[in-house]
Amino acid sequence: MEMIRKKQIGEILDYLKTEERFARNIVHWRTIPSREAKSVPFPAGLDQRIQDALIRRGIPALYTHQETSFRHVMAGKSIVAVTPTASGKSMCYHLPVLQTLSEDTQARALYLFPTKALAQDQKSELHELINEMGLSIKSETYDGDTPAQIRQTVRKAGNIVITNPDMLHSAILPHHTKWVSFFEHLKYVVIDELHTYRGVFGSHVANVIRRLKRICAFYGSQPQFICTSATIANPRELAEQLTEEHVELVDNNGAPAGTKHFLFYNPPVVNRQLNIRRSATLEARDITEQFLANGIQTILFARSRVRVEILLTYLQELIKRKLGPKKIQGYRGGYLPSQRREIERGLRSGEIMGVVSTNALELGVDIGQLQVCVITGYPGSVASTWQQAGRAGRRQGESVVVMVGSSTPLDQYVIGHPEYFFDRSPETARINPDNLIILVDHLKCAAYELPFKEGDRFGSAEIMEILEFLTEEQVLHFSRGKWFWMNDSFPAHNISLRSASQENVVIIDISERGNERVIGEMDRFSSMTLLHDEAIYLHQGTQYQVEKLDYEEKKAYVREVQVDYYTDANLAVQLKVLEEDQTRSHAETAFAYGEVSVHAMATIFKKIKFETHENIGSGPIHLPEEELHTNAAWISFSNSLLETIGTEDVERGLVGLAHVLQHVAPLFVMCDPMDLHVIPQRKAVHSQQPTIFLYDRYPGGIGLSEQVYKEMETILLQAEQLITSCPCESGCPSCVGAADDGSKELAMTLLRVAQGGSTYVS
Amino acid sequence: MSLKSKLQRMKGHLVKESDQQKQEVPRESEQEPSAADIPFARQWQELQAKPYVWDGEHVMLREVRYPVTHQHGSYTFAQLHEAIAAWEASGRQHPLSSAGRKAEDLLFFDTETTGLSGGAGNTVFLLGYSRLEGDEVVMRQHFLPGPHAEVTLYHSFLEQAQKSSHLVTFNGKSFDWPQVKTRHTLIRDQVSALPTFGHLDLLHGARRLWKDELESCRLSLIEQEKLQVTREDDLPGFLAPIRYFDFLHSQDPSVIEGVLRHNELDVLSLITLYTHITRLILWHEQEQVSHEERFAIARWYDALGDQEAAMKAYAIVANSEHSWNVRAKLALGQLYKKQKDFSQALLVWESCMQGTRFVPEEVYIEAAKLCEHQFKDWEKALFYTKKAYDQWKQRATLLRQKTRAEAQAYEKRIARLEGKLSGIAEEEDEMGSLFFD
Repeated sequence: MEMIRKKQIGEILDYLKTEERFARNIVHWRTIPSREAKSVPFPAGLDQRIQDALIRRGIPALYTHQETSFRHVMAGKSIVAVTPTASGKSMCYHLPVLQTLSEDTQARALYLFPTKALAQDQKSELHELINEMGLSIKSETYDGDTPAQIRQTVRKAGNIVITNPDMLHSAILPHHTKWVSFFEHLKYVVIDELHTYRGVFGSHVANVIRRLKRICAFYGSQPQFICTSATIANPRELAEQLTEEHVELVDNNGAPAGTKHFLFYNPPVVNRQLNIRRSATLEARDITEQFLANGIQTILFARSRVRVEILLTYLQELIKRKLGPKKIQGYRGGYLPSQRREIERGLRSGEIMGVVSTNALELGVDIGQLQVCVITGYPGSVASTWQQAGRAGRRQGESVVVMVGSSTPLDQYVIGHPEYFFDRSPETARINPDNLIILVDHLKCAAYELPFKEGDRFGSAEIMEILEFLTEEQVLHFSRGKWFWMNDSFPAHNISLRSASQENVVIIDISERGNERVIGEMDRFSSMTLLHDEAIYLHQGTQYQVEKLDYEEKKAYVREVQVDYYTDANLAVQLKVLEEDQTRSHAETAFAYGEVSVHAMATIFKKIKFETHENIGSGPIHLPEEELHTNAAWISFSNSLLETIGTEDVERGLVGLAHVLQHVAPLFVMCDPMDLHVIPQRKAVHSQQPTIFLYDRYPGGIGLSEQVYKEMETILLQAEQLITSCPCESGCPSCVGAADDGSKELAMTLLRVAQGGSTYVS
Repeated sequence: MSLKSKLQRMKGHLVKESDQQKQEVPRESEQEPSAADIPFARQWQELQAKPYVWDGEHVMLREVRYPVTHQHGSYTFAQLHEAIAAWEASGRQHPLSSAGRKAEDLLFFDTETTGLSGGAGNTVFLLGYSRLEGDEVVMRQHFLPGPHAEVTLYHSFLEQAQKSSHLVTFNGKSFDWPQVKTRHTLIRDQVSALPTFGHLDLLHGARRLWKDELESCRLSLIEQEKLQVTREDDLPGFLAPIRYFDFLHSQDPSVIEGVLRHNELDVLSLITLYTHITRLILWHEQEQVSHEERFAIARWYDALGDQEAAMKAYAIVANSEHSWNVRAKLALGQLYKKQKDFSQALLVWESCMQGTRFVPEEVYIEAAKLCEHQFKDWEKALFYTKKAYDQWKQRATLLRQKTRAEAQAYEKRIARLEGKLSGIAEEEDEMGSLFFD
């Protein structure tokens, strides 16, 4: 019997560098050198017990960013600290909070984490810290899992209450009268992972904070805000928008880091003419296997829930013989919290060798030090990529990040332009707290919590007109200059901070009679394409077929199956313009921004075979249409194009250009490609002209399309670069989508016209 | 585009609050009201309500007085005195005891609110109570004519409520009073603090007594089934919020009259209910009490640790011909066992077996345990265990839920007893007996 020696990480890197199978596909290899620590002595005022505990932990000094944070906060300022993963960022808030609590046992602090998982994590860390310091500070999580007996103690006596925005929104603020002494003595609000509060979620949370500040003012407190964020372009702007306070930026990171190898990997072309590359999923699987087989803890990021499950199935099968089946786990949004906690523990203890995840693990859930991170497909933003890459390698030792490009235009652009990724400033996080739908939702909640009086504002928002509207709707009652909540409902229960659709679909496994159980949930909009009747739903590597989606009752009944395909659904979209708010022209072309209504309907689904990705069947989907009122930016082309180029070609050009824009535009407004949709129309309803629309996928819009409108010229320029730098002949999935003859040229023509040029065809 | 038209367009996306009937909204006058010119003054007067003015605002105080000789359902209000005296005489510790109280100490209290869920925005618009004052029962309601007048509402209420020391409510412990506290917190700087009341909540008792018998433990159903109170044209409680919203717009008291009458009956019935439950608990030997109720009373005493009272009540059920005599005997035996009166315990359980009714396995097992551990009568113990096991096996074919663990526990016990009988002193297997012990 031959004993197989396990390879070290350096040996595997050498292997990747030399072995033709991998080496020829590595298009960029960047070694990020290690970074020395920058430390400063403990600040003079720091409590001796805190100092002693830190020294016992082997921390004789603070990193520069920790000390700066401490100084600002103790001086009464609100801050946002920007630091990479594993830089001891939680000390930026623990230190000033614990210092204050060591002096004033009455003081209270609220810690907000975007998810329950993170809150749980921080609780254990904080408890340890407090114990080591020998302080009598009570800290406790307050969330859906907190037992009723403990809740009362937390409300009455918790110095540090750790929770999430959803809980603050639906359980704490509407019941503020049970938290009197908490709100009276609230000194600090900690907002960790600030960068996650963007888009719809961020806009909601900004309003929850408006409500929080209103309640604090009622009880006479004025808390400082301490935020921490991953690297984004506008941390201070985001923090100020979210908290509506003046915020100091702390960005002098002093934490050390080990050497990191960042590899850009482009799967080999399998069809040169059509520029079709081998599937990124398969390549990522093969690379991951190299590390896992040698016992090196690896995290593999996939872009969708479906991909996670496919990769998990692949890898579990491959590695089973070497590591045993339990050693590789999936991790994504649809799993139940208890399942996730277990996986996190397994990763920390080393019991779990590999994890396949969606970006759910992007956040700072503590999973210990992984050595390798493989990213399937560009995660869509620079910030997000660094977050995922931060999962590998912490303070010392070598680590590896491999980003495997898919054939989408964006991936190909990024893979082909490493300088874009490494040199570009990261994206800007946008929120729109004054989105009408979101604002109205939270005004209702706020009125439920405390009446409004004439002349009041809600944060910075003007609200008199909305209050009058709600009075006409008989939700509020106006009396003696005040607006009172006057309805028998509990508004916070009808409002979810997380998704556009208000209610989630619950997924119920009915495989075993008498043992039906809930295995997960999903937002309603996604359920149209992922949980329709006959869809194959993957969960922890197990395949389920949807027997019935009860759209009314928000329940999907699934049964375990074993098939060799997955399903993919089409969404048909209709759009019409309601109002044009802004417009500007370039020669024959006009850009506009305004309000639109969108009708979306799931139409058919296809069954796609695993290994070959061939289409092996299809069926209709019978679900009602969803209607969306939102904002859009659009490009209107002159009808004369139809004469010069021909109707059919204009149509093909529009489709191609839309395909490119769908990938390029989200890059410039920092959003998930799912949040911004692009659709082409040969004859737009409002103008009868050829048009490409880019719209926000949330009722009322969250400012994405407005940004697109502002930056349209830049976006078009980037689209042009993407098309010209694509090596294919006449179009491919990596640029304009279709590979029909001339597609690429047609899209280029429209692009030039859109930029004010002529229809000249080269 | 104006914000309002945008709001109209977005309406489909906005979360809808419950559909209320829309009406024309009359603009309210901006003037401060004086007692003389409150709207619909005459109609209020006909309803026996008059304004209470404080701090420039008014609320409506409705007061109806009844002689204590008035019969409300099964009892006269005066019989409350008997109930209190009975608690006094019994000397029992009980959560519903009013020993040491005067009748006017008890405030029979109920509210009406604008919603069902607790939370800061749920307004208490009516605070109602009844109370014995001398030879009268005074039913008083503090009604909020508009949400701006809450300070006045609580001021007027506290003035009166402070004269009592205990609240008697129906679910008030978890709903009404916390909600009053919540609303009071919002104006706590403008009114005096809420007193710390003792609290007797009758819902818990009602559930103990009638949970199995009645379809629900709604007060109106209890009135009908147990108190001989009849309601005519009663407004269902869930309509109260809607009526109140309508009232806010019209200010017409006739809109809210039904709510006021409903609440009036509620707080009057609380006196009758308290009287009734007290008599059941303390006088169950004499009163017309069903064995089901008596059994529930016994269990309640049992749970409170009052073994003497519990055994007395269990014994009556146990000695009756009622089908619940078996469970009463089982419980009675357990209390004897607790008191280490093992012979009495065995006697009760064995008397159970002699009847013609179905005897649950539990009785045999309990008897077997006594025989084995206390009387060392292993033969008898084995006999009872086998009897239980046979019966269990028969039932087990009907109930598929029976687990292996149960069967194993039986087999283990049998094996152990057989071992002991054959002279082999086997070590007691704690695991085996754990299941039943």
